[in-house]
Amino acid sequence: MNRTIISIAIAVSLSACSSLGVEPWEKDQLARADMALDSEKLDLALDDHIYFSKEGSSGGRSLAGGGCGCN
Amino acid sequence: MRKLLLLLSFMTLSISAAPSLDYKVQNFQGELLSLSEFKGKVVYLDFWASWCGPCRKSFPWMNAMHQKYQQQGLAIVAINLDEDKALAETFLSKIPADFHIRFDPQADVASKFDLQGMPSSYIFNRQGELVQTHLGFFEEKSAGYENEIVELLKE
Amino acid sequence: MQLKNRSNISKALAIASCSLLGHSAQASANTEKPDDWKVDAAIMYYGEEDRVQAVEAIGNVQKAFGDESLLDMKLVVDSLTGASASGAVAQSETQTFTRPSGNGQYETASGETPLDDTFQDTRVQASANWAETLSPVWKTNVGVNGSKEFDYFSLGLNGGVERSFNKDNTTLALSGAYTFDSIDPVGGRPVAFSSMALRADYDTEEEYRTAFDMTRMAGSEDKKTMDMMLSVTQVLSRRWLFQANYGLSSVSGYMTDPYKILSQVNDTGTTQSYLYENRPDSRLKHSFYMMTKGALDAGVIDFSYRYTTDDWDLNSHTLETHYRYYFSGRFYGQVHLRYYQQQAANFYRPFLMAGEPLPEYASADYRIGDMTTYTLGLKFGQRLSGGHEMSYRLEYYQQNPENSGFDLVGQLQDHDLFPEVKAIIAQVSYSF
Repeated sequence: MNRTIISIAIAVSLSACSSLGVEPWEKDQLARADMALDSEKLDLALDDHIYFSKEGSSGGRSLAGGGCGCN
Repeated sequence: MRKLLLLLSFMTLSISAAPSLDYKVQNFQGELLSLSEFKGKVVYLDFWASWCGPCRKSFPWMNAMHQKYQQQGLAIVAINLDEDKALAETFLSKIPADFHIRFDPQADVASKFDLQGMPSSYIFNRQGELVQTHLGFFEEKSAGYENEIVELLKE
Repeated sequence: MQLKNRSNISKALAIASCSLLGHSAQASANTEKPDDWKVDAAIMYYGEEDRVQAVEAIGNVQKAFGDESLLDMKLVVDSLTGASASGAVAQSETQTFTRPSGNGQYETASGETPLDDTFQDTRVQASANWAETLSPVWKTNVGVNGSKEFDYFSLGLNGGVERSFNKDNTTLALSGAYTFDSIDPVGGRPVAFSSMALRADYDTEEEYRTAFDMTRMAGSEDKKTMDMMLSVTQVLSRRWLFQANYGLSSVSGYMTDPYKILSQVNDTGTTQSYLYENRPDSRLKHSFYMMTKGALDAGVIDFSYRYTTDDWDLNSHTLETHYRYYFSGRFYGQVHLRYYQQQAANFYRPFLMAGEPLPEYASADYRIGDMTTYTLGLKFGQRLSGGHEMSYRLEYYQQNPENSGFDLVGQLQDHDLFPEVKAIIAQVSYSF
């Protein structure tokens, strides 16, 4: 009986803290406009254009993810 | 031994944690009040925070619902999850609410409800049973949300 | 409102936060102004010492439709003037070059790096992107973009999906793009490795014209690019975000720069002729990118690293950081540092030796040679009433080309074949 309880407890706790992250109500800092990955998108676009024209490689960035996770 | 107790407490937490009206939340004065005070009404429970964009849009809608259906027995309770109450008060000074506001700054009740995102709303019927859950607030879906409320008010 | 300590600043920042689909808005409950429009505009000046100067203006408009859809439109106009290195080497004698059109020529003084100042071009670029939230965990987007300049036309399509996991703590995104470019160089594209026809070598204008036309091919050339990117964004903690991306890009078609040449020198380092360059017609590139971004009480900081490699053997490392500090809830300063290092493409050579067989591909364009670049920038921004923001930044960008191991023969040792290029970037932005 004890073993069953323990194995269930382990399974549940593993699923509870299965990966990195925060609870939905802890996204206040990530919700800040300056924390959005596209917060300075014009600067990033202008920079990318300069470096694409002047250097031999380009790309790398993605603007997906982050933010408050609302909706 | 401590680890075992910790694991066991996680297990019991997940078994007992479920959305219900039997939890206590704070009012403006910081007093703990049980949500069961709203039993007998159709309860629209909404978890919100000052930094949540869609929450700004949901407040005018919730005000409208309060206006229309309060007499028929609708209780809208918006539970704030800001760590700092002052942020909630600033929000409310710009977007006033006619409905009930409660506070859960340590997110104890939010954890029990196991919120999947912000905002989250939970609709309880007059018997205090959870009948509907909504993740996020979408203007396009607000007519649907209203229909659910109307149906429950008929009971 | 006097903000005295850091935590007050972070609270002020928390309020000015995201609304829908990642675009920010200020609460303005008492006004009728809809917060579903967002406009960003910027004008930038790029100027290299004695070389290229460009002015670029961008306007970006975002319109939200309900809470599930977002339309993003962008218009860019840029204008380029000034001279850029043609790829020929400096000499102890004056050099004369034929302009790309064949009409006229330009001279380079002794000891100077040959710069072609023929380019004065204006480019217009427009793009539109539609983003849709399909469910609490799925998002998608599609877009189209196009650009036009005097000798160049580009049209592209892009699309992507995002899937979030674990209460939005993890986001996986897959995106792809297809771009079609058409280039119709001034004077027609040059025949690869043909020798530049110089007026002085011919007695009559007709003979020169005939020789020049032999070095040109009529018609336009195409280039097709397929891009794919896989991205993982992970919330590490309340304040820290992490992102890792893998990008794959396959380009096929005309990638030669029709305006670049190589000097063919003898063993005293004296130029015998100028040959038009030739690059491969395919390129497969991989990029690996990682970044982390942190919300500080009175600022934001980010670090990123990118490694690229391709089948031209051009590898690069990029290290970049931005650090923002809020002096008050409304005013910030930001430092930008970037370090870039690239290894020459396998067909890069600063010059060709006369008498040696021609390689299959060759280019003396320093932009695909060994190079290290440094950027140091400073930006200031202020939040104005009504959710408007204005910012201005000034950056210094230095490119240091390097010799990737070529022996400089004869008089070439007397000249700097890998001169530094110094540039200033100045930009003003406004958003509301």
